Amino acid sequence: MNNFTLGKYMPLDSAIHKLDPRAKILAMLVMLIAIFIPSGFEGYLLISVVILVVVYFSKLKLSFLVKAMKPMFFMLGFLLVINLLVIKTGYALVTIGSFVIYSDAVFQTLYIVIRLLLMVIITTLLTATTKPFDLTLGLESIMAPFKKIGLPASEIAMMISIALRFIPTLIEETQRIMQAQASRGVDLQEGKIKEKIMAILSLIVPLFVSAFQRADDLANAMEVKGYIPGAKRTRYKQLKFYLRDYIVLLVSNGLLILLIVWMIIK
Amino acid sequence: MSIKFEKVSYTYSENTPYQYQALNNIDLEFAAGKITAIIGKTGSGKSTLVQHLNGLLLPTAGKLQVMDWEISADKKPSKLKKLRKEVGLVFQFPEYQLFEETILKDVAFGPKNFNATEKEAKAKAKEALKLVGIDESYYEKSPLELSGGQKRRIAIAGILAMDPKVVVLDEPTAGLDPQGAKSMMELFYRLNKEFNKTILIVTHNMEDVLQYCEDVVVIKDGSVKTHTSVKAFFQDTQLLDDLEILPPNVIRLKNALNEQGFNLSDEIVDLDELTTAIVKKVL
Repeated sequence: MNNFTLGKYMPLDSAIHKLDPRAKILAMLVMLIAIFIPSGFEGYLLISVVILVVVYFSKLKLSFLVKAMKPMFFMLGFLLVINLLVIKTGYALVTIGSFVIYSDAVFQTLYIVIRLLLMVIITTLLTATTKPFDLTLGLESIMAPFKKIGLPASEIAMMISIALRFIPTLIEETQRIMQAQASRGVDLQEGKIKEKIMAILSLIVPLFVSAFQRADDLANAMEVKGYIPGAKRTRYKQLKFYLRDYIVLLVSNGLLILLIVWMIIK
Repeated sequence: MSIKFEKVSYTYSENTPYQYQALNNIDLEFAAGKITAIIGKTGSGKSTLVQHLNGLLLPTAGKLQVMDWEISADKKPSKLKKLRKEVGLVFQFPEYQLFEETILKDVAFGPKNFNATEKEAKAKAKEALKLVGIDESYYEKSPLELSGGQKRRIAIAGILAMDPKVVVLDEPTAGLDPQGAKSMMELFYRLNKEFNKTILIVTHNMEDVLQYCEDVVVIKDGSVKTHTSVKAFFQDTQLLDDLEILPPNVIRLKNALNEQGFNLSDEIVDLDELTTAIVKKVL
């Protein structure tokens, strides 16, 4: 749990950290779309190279990204097994007794694996290099035009930022309760199924109780400080686009267009 | 039966930008059968220190001996669970760990985890609840509907029901009303005197240290600053000044009187003794 990196901000000083959050959010969206364009392995290679370059500039350690991907590995393994059992098209790759592994099963799994891992890396890049506060500011600014059609942009941004803000707090809380229960003999690693269910229960109930309490306290604190949903608010920090932000948008959009063209030609 | 730290260091989030060394080369030995206070400023490493005592945190360098268990940086000990039965650790704000439907069940949760039968666990739970002063009529109530102070008592009972030899308490009286805090400290005193338990209390309250504890350990910036008897500690005005610790009222009154030529004994630590001594001098 101590190594939980998903959505965690890493305070480094890099070119990627300095980018405008709006540029980063938009670039991330474009890249996510690019990942879902069926452009074959060549396309993924291109995207991977671009992402690796960004990772290099962000000064994030590769081990950090691997840790962020870790929770996916179990799911991916599960997916591989299911695909191997279900997909029976393509040519036979390996034959073990009466069990045949088909090429499509392997390739399709590989596609999904690459897509998911790239997605995790891209989103991790965004959250690890952008302060939660800047992220919210960027989101709000991007959603601002939709206010005209009744989208509560500021409220949505506030909700997202509160959710992000409380991820580390809740993790901390979970750890604390885990340790408190471990002191009472709870063993999450060993034990029978019934004991394990009890162990998880002893974790979840206190966690929910304190989360609700926290929510209550936060709501009161916000009200005391005069938070009114929908009220017009000013900002201390003003976002500004620099040349580097335009370059980022240009590169990511260029990549997307390139991949679309590639797909059509193929 | 002893607890001994040898050059223990602990670093949080090693090898990340969040890296933080909380303990630095701790050498420490706790005497069995005593009440020891662990004091120090917020963030000095007290809580990190006590979490080593039942193996929740393993040292990143050095080793420690807790009774029969040897815990070191490179060797993870087996049977940690058994250690957790022998060293009962009560966290800060332990009321957040309550989760069962009834108070009795919650307190019986610990013993049951350590392989007590349902019946034994209930018996131990009842004993512990009696000890902390929770009335029988509460047994079937939900722990969540009680007041903060009562919740805290139940959480502490949950640890005591495991019948640990060593009880470690991390700021057990924080946030309690003065009356509740006093009876809580008296409970720990009784546990030590009547049931012969070794007690370690992390606290900020110097009055409690003076009244209930025998030894005191001062932690500063992750290192042990001093480890001495409470009496010696409160006589060392220079050290107290260095640590920016305001001595308890009785000691300050005594010191002030001594400055005026009263010449009261250094042995005096409580108000009654002080009053008697003053009366003797004056009459």
